Amino acid sequence: MVNYVFDGSFDGLMTVVYEAYYSHQQPNDIFSGSNHQINFLGHDVFVSTDIDKSNKVQDAIETKISNEALRNIYYVYLSELDSSYMLIYKYIRLGFKIGKKLDYFIQNDIVHEVTKLSQRVKHEAYKMIELIRFKEVKKGLFLAKIHPDYNVLPIIMPHFAERFQDQYFIIHDEKRSLSAVYDKKAWIITDIPLENISKVKDTKNYEILWKIYHKSIAIKERKNMKLQMQHMPKKYWDMLTEKQ
Amino acid sequence: MDLLEKIRILADAAKYDVSCSSSGSDRENKNGGIGNASFYGICHSWSEDGRCISLLKILFTNICIYDCSYCVNRCTNDVERALFTPDELADITINFYRRNYIEGLFLSSAVYKSPDYTMELLIKTVKKLREEYNFNGYIHLKAIPGADVNLIRLAGLYADRMSVNIELPSEKSLKLLAPQKTKESIIKPMNFIHNQLLEKNESKKLMRYTDKFVPAGQTTQLIIGATPESDRTILKLSENLYKYYDLKRVYYSAYIPVFNGNNILGVASPPLLREHRLYQADWLLRYYNFKADELLTEEEPNFDISLDPKINWAMKNLNLFPVEINTADYNMLLRVPGIGLRAAKRIVKARKAAHLSYDSLKNLGVVLKRAKYFITCNGKYYGECKIETEKIKNKLSTNKNRILDGQISIFDIDNSLNNLPIIV
Repeated sequence: MVNYVFDGSFDGLMTVVYEAYYSHQQPNDIFSGSNHQINFLGHDVFVSTDIDKSNKVQDAIETKISNEALRNIYYVYLSELDSSYMLIYKYIRLGFKIGKKLDYFIQNDIVHEVTKLSQRVKHEAYKMIELIRFKEVKKGLFLAKIHPDYNVLPIIMPHFAERFQDQYFIIHDEKRSLSAVYDKKAWIITDIPLENISKVKDTKNYEILWKIYHKSIAIKERKNMKLQMQHMPKKYWDMLTEKQ
Repeated sequence: MDLLEKIRILADAAKYDVSCSSSGSDRENKNGGIGNASFYGICHSWSEDGRCISLLKILFTNICIYDCSYCVNRCTNDVERALFTPDELADITINFYRRNYIEGLFLSSAVYKSPDYTMELLIKTVKKLREEYNFNGYIHLKAIPGADVNLIRLAGLYADRMSVNIELPSEKSLKLLAPQKTKESIIKPMNFIHNQLLEKNESKKLMRYTDKFVPAGQTTQLIIGATPESDRTILKLSENLYKYYDLKRVYYSAYIPVFNGNNILGVASPPLLREHRLYQADWLLRYYNFKADELLTEEEPNFDISLDPKINWAMKNLNLFPVEINTADYNMLLRVPGIGLRAAKRIVKARKAAHLSYDSLKNLGVVLKRAKYFITCNGKYYGECKIETEKIKNKLSTNKNRILDGQISIFDIDNSLNNLPIIV
């Protein structure tokens, strides 16, 4: 039994799966390099990321299990929970044993745990797609700030890049200091810090029109703040123009 | 008048239209333009009444030549009036869209000057959006009753969805409350859109490329509680609309007494719970393969408001229960209270892998609180009482009443606070 340590990337995690499989050394635990403290008692194996090995594992998951399983694995990885790496490892092992019917085993604890966590990440990504608010900070440049519990930028960017093809925009994850940048052609995620990010303002006055609209469209006789809060959790209110 | 005032007045005037969904269309973003439609729709905000905001729902104008007594915009009502220009509306839509406030535009209007004139203004606005701004987001357009069918056809080429509101569920009520509108003027555009859609479907089989014509279909809205129609009348009407006109949705709007209508029966407060029950029944029609006649009969034309329509039905058909989870077919699973679409699908999938235990049902999304009275799992019944109408009803309605009381009392407080006008 060994502890595997990888660089924190998805390809790194997939390389761990590859190494564990072919070295026949079951992991005791899997750590992401950034928050791993070297444990003198355990036996740590540092795995360096290998794209080829990662691709082989991903291909195997897709052909031997299913596309859905691969997506679940990716979403669970994006949850960034310490426990998620071992969970993914166990899920893949189980998947290689059971095969295409893995997703039918909803009664199994590992499958259930993976499905639940994957859904939670997906749900938050969806909330971000709904609730992100852009500000036009310079003529033609739009910026949105978010602070999601999970690392959802890679999930939501394709949606916005498709939709706003003719618009320069940045989505900044304040919690992780990551920025997703789109330049009308392609998008990348980078950790290059942005200048004066805290003070950005919309240069046009559509925000005030939106607030007026938001107020007018509510029917007073049906007021139901609880229902509103259910759909727009309070933890996101600081992102919302209409709640400021 | 500045833009701020216009938005305030014309959003306020549009709020009684309940439709907001942006689903059913998969319009793509072409040639580097702005926007696309998401097939399942996306909500972007929720207003203080808890209803979602997906589209910029707004009237072009609330200046009206008609005098329908249920409507806040009737010409004899003393309210502030405003009128947009196509340019203003297109600009607001685009700028809201770029900030991710909205999924698109839901444009409706009071009847200004004439139905044709109004329809032309709406078309001018959406044409500008599609052709000048290269906007591919969602557009829901109201067909103005009485407008020329050629205008409706033209509008349909730009819109993702169109709707004609029936509002009053019978011809008699229509004559009483909206004497200037006729049944004909409502059914005609609806019928026309339906026929156009059928034609498009036919030509799709022959041609590789056809122009899009309201790809997300049409919807309508019925007002609940302004007139004396029973739940059964309303539900039968909806069923026929789904069947014969292929409507995507029928929306129900609990009548909110707007100022002093004269002809309207005494409505004290909006019948929100009744509206809720009708929506539940509507879902049973569209997704659970129920028929209106199964849910309501001539002897009992209204829902027992304390129970949801599915439990109501199950109570009357207890001989069909309990259902064995491990063997029942999908359609029967769907009819079990506490088992929804998703749970039914998961059950069918999961039981292929292994026999289902009672404890695992919770993981599959079954609401055991309701379902346990109607199912067996590996032959065992978990309902804690005999399968008899009264006993189950007692168990379920004690649960229910607590919730119900809560809801009703909230409404009561609200009503007294807002000092709702009561119409006699």
